[in-house]
Amino acid sequence: MSAEKKMSRRDLLKMAAAGGTGLVMSGLPVRVIAQDMVTIKVQTAGLDDNTLQPVADIQMARNPNVNVEWVVLTGIDHEEVAAKILALVAAGESIDVGYAATEACQLFAGQGLAAPLDDRITSDPDQDFWTDFFSDVHPSLTEAMMYEGSLYEPPRDFNAANMYFNTNVLAENGFEVPGEEWTKDDFLEIARGTTKKDDSGNTEVFGYAWTNRLWGSWMPWIFVAGGNLYTEERAPGGSWVWDGYYEGDMAADGRGGGFRWREPVANSAEVVEALQLVVDLWQEGVTPDIAMGTGQTLTGFYSTGLLCMTPAGGFWAGRLGNEGMAKGDFDVQYWPNWRNQKHQFGTGGHWLSTTSTAPDEAWDFMKIEVSHEGFQSSIFFNPVIITTPSRRSYSQADAFESTGPANSDVFYGTLDDHPSTSPIPAPPWSNPMTTIFTTYTGFAMSGEMGPQQALDEMQAELESLTNRQPQYYGDD
Amino acid sequence: MSGKSLSSNNIGGIGGLYHWLFQDTMEGLRRRRALLGYLFLLPTLLGIFIFTAGPIFVSFGLSLYRWNIFKPPDFIALDNFERLLADRRVIVGLGNTLKFTVLAVASQVSLGLILALAVHRINRIWLRYYFRTAYFLPLLMSGASVAVFMGYIFHKEFGPLNYYLTLLGLPQIPWLTNSDLVMISIAIISAWRNLGFTFLIFLGGLANLSQEVLDAADVDGAQGLRRLWSVVIPLLSPQILFATVTGVIGALQVFDEPYIMTRGGPGNASRTLVMVMYEHAFKDIEFGYGSAIAIVVFLMILAMSAVQMWLWRNRVFYQ
Repeated sequence: MSAEKKMSRRDLLKMAAAGGTGLVMSGLPVRVIAQDMVTIKVQTAGLDDNTLQPVADIQMARNPNVNVEWVVLTGIDHEEVAAKILALVAAGESIDVGYAATEACQLFAGQGLAAPLDDRITSDPDQDFWTDFFSDVHPSLTEAMMYEGSLYEPPRDFNAANMYFNTNVLAENGFEVPGEEWTKDDFLEIARGTTKKDDSGNTEVFGYAWTNRLWGSWMPWIFVAGGNLYTEERAPGGSWVWDGYYEGDMAADGRGGGFRWREPVANSAEVVEALQLVVDLWQEGVTPDIAMGTGQTLTGFYSTGLLCMTPAGGFWAGRLGNEGMAKGDFDVQYWPNWRNQKHQFGTGGHWLSTTSTAPDEAWDFMKIEVSHEGFQSSIFFNPVIITTPSRRSYSQADAFESTGPANSDVFYGTLDDHPSTSPIPAPPWSNPMTTIFTTYTGFAMSGEMGPQQALDEMQAELESLTNRQPQYYGDD
Repeated sequence: MSGKSLSSNNIGGIGGLYHWLFQDTMEGLRRRRALLGYLFLLPTLLGIFIFTAGPIFVSFGLSLYRWNIFKPPDFIALDNFERLLADRRVIVGLGNTLKFTVLAVASQVSLGLILALAVHRINRIWLRYYFRTAYFLPLLMSGASVAVFMGYIFHKEFGPLNYYLTLLGLPQIPWLTNSDLVMISIAIISAWRNLGFTFLIFLGGLANLSQEVLDAADVDGAQGLRRLWSVVIPLLSPQILFATVTGVIGALQVFDEPYIMTRGGPGNASRTLVMVMYEHAFKDIEFGYGSAIAIVVFLMILAMSAVQMWLWRNRVFYQ
């Protein structure tokens, strides 16, 4: 071992200094370029198989100076994602573009976190883009994204609660997919007729199942029974969109500036009756114990023939295919008629943050997402539909060709052919409202409270919650 | 005395401080050593102050305000604390949390001890390693993952647990959908996940028991349960105290399992205090009120830890 070969501490320090200088120097050109870059932060649900990456790719190809940075936020349901966005804001972080379904659209708009898009749309030099977009999007979806006269999100997708059938379970029990005009009694006959129990009375195949959440769950029964959680009224305003982009569209007649859900009416006779219906089905063993969640658990049980019917929207078509259900193994129909056939839906899209440091680039991202190019490249709609496209032209039968269901025209038909269809109640305080709704649903569905008591207590809590809110809606 | 020597030199300012610190005396040496000690402690103290004590003080301050993050906070003194006394969800959450704490900690400590005693008796080293690894593995999994797959396992109609129970001719048990059972189920799941920690602590304790004391017990004829009860368990008392105190602290903060598996349901049956805090702070955007609940949780943990230490003060035997 010769002394020359040993590295002294001084040599080591010299090498480290040289290496560090080299690293800094090599980073310099990048920094020079980076000074011209505009970074927008976009909320997404995950980086693996990021559904928004194609949109970012289009934008970055068009404008190489834009860099899209992802803010990953996941949640069990929409209200949890909204809560995480609020937590992010509370921590001093910001996003430029956020996602919200109907559940949280008014929440962000009401808090001033989302920016109204009216001026951006009306002053856009490319008016053909917006004429084409709105002519392709049902006005009810646009209205559901409005708050006090302004539009906060161009709708990208929607899901109405339709009834899904496992056609194999139907056939085994001598049933067929019912027609459009089917009723609650038809539903009960199928639900009871497809339920199979073993000798000890345990149900092996359930006629009907749902999960405890705001969208879906037993909310469709509330609607067809003629009830709602809150009174439903329309805010004034919005003529800029109805007169400017929907002129001549009969479906746009009478629409306003978004919904106002002011007064809780959760213990009305219709709502009690709807809850009684689902409690009865549970007590009969037609429905399994009701768990919280978005229904992903049910997907597996449904695809393995353990369930016959469940509420879901177009998002289930691709997911059931991914679960191994072949085309023809499932089908869909409108929600059954009770006192009416009023359907519920929720829509989704991106909002522009009022705190955005690059609002123009963020707006470009939003615009690309709802363009034809955006829809054609979207992982949500290609190769299979995993959420129903808001654009009518992408929701036609050919979009469901590879997966089914055969009655896929039901999805957009829920909007086109059922004028009474309206969004789930989602006022700016929808997050705590959802907690109250699911809590008292749980009380009733576990037998801890009867439907009337559960809804009386739900009503009391909703009143207290509503009274604590500042004035989010105008007086008109 | 130090002050005296500083003033006696009659040198003020930084120069005086330098002279005081670097005095070529035993006193000076002691001061320099003390300074070095404090310098080493500084990063940790800063970390505690910024990331632990700081947020606690900020939370306490925040609990005196009404704040929804979008508007400036309103000072409302103790109104948030007054409100939580009448908040049914907070009271139910407190009850559920205490119920869970008793169930989870009791099962973790007792099962951990039983398993440690059993594994300690195994002579084959490789088998001991196997059990140590096997029992510790669940602790390495995230609470969220455990909650998701346990949700499937404990599903009433479609879960494998009930499937095997029905094969034995037993009825399906609504583990997560019955108000009376849900906290027990969650405590079982939590105990399964955290068992490895108490198990390892007890196993370590058993390996370090004083052989002289055990031999003396043998000579005195203490065998079996008598030896366990009167000799082994008292000698393990420091480990039992540690496992209990840390178990209670963890259990009072339970959130992952009930939130993911039941979201507090059915009804409010599995809603815990931390879950109520989360809901108020982040879902209802009431950060002041959420902070008030956080302070209550903090004080509860502090009080329960103190009570445990006090209760065990004469029962812990350090060798």
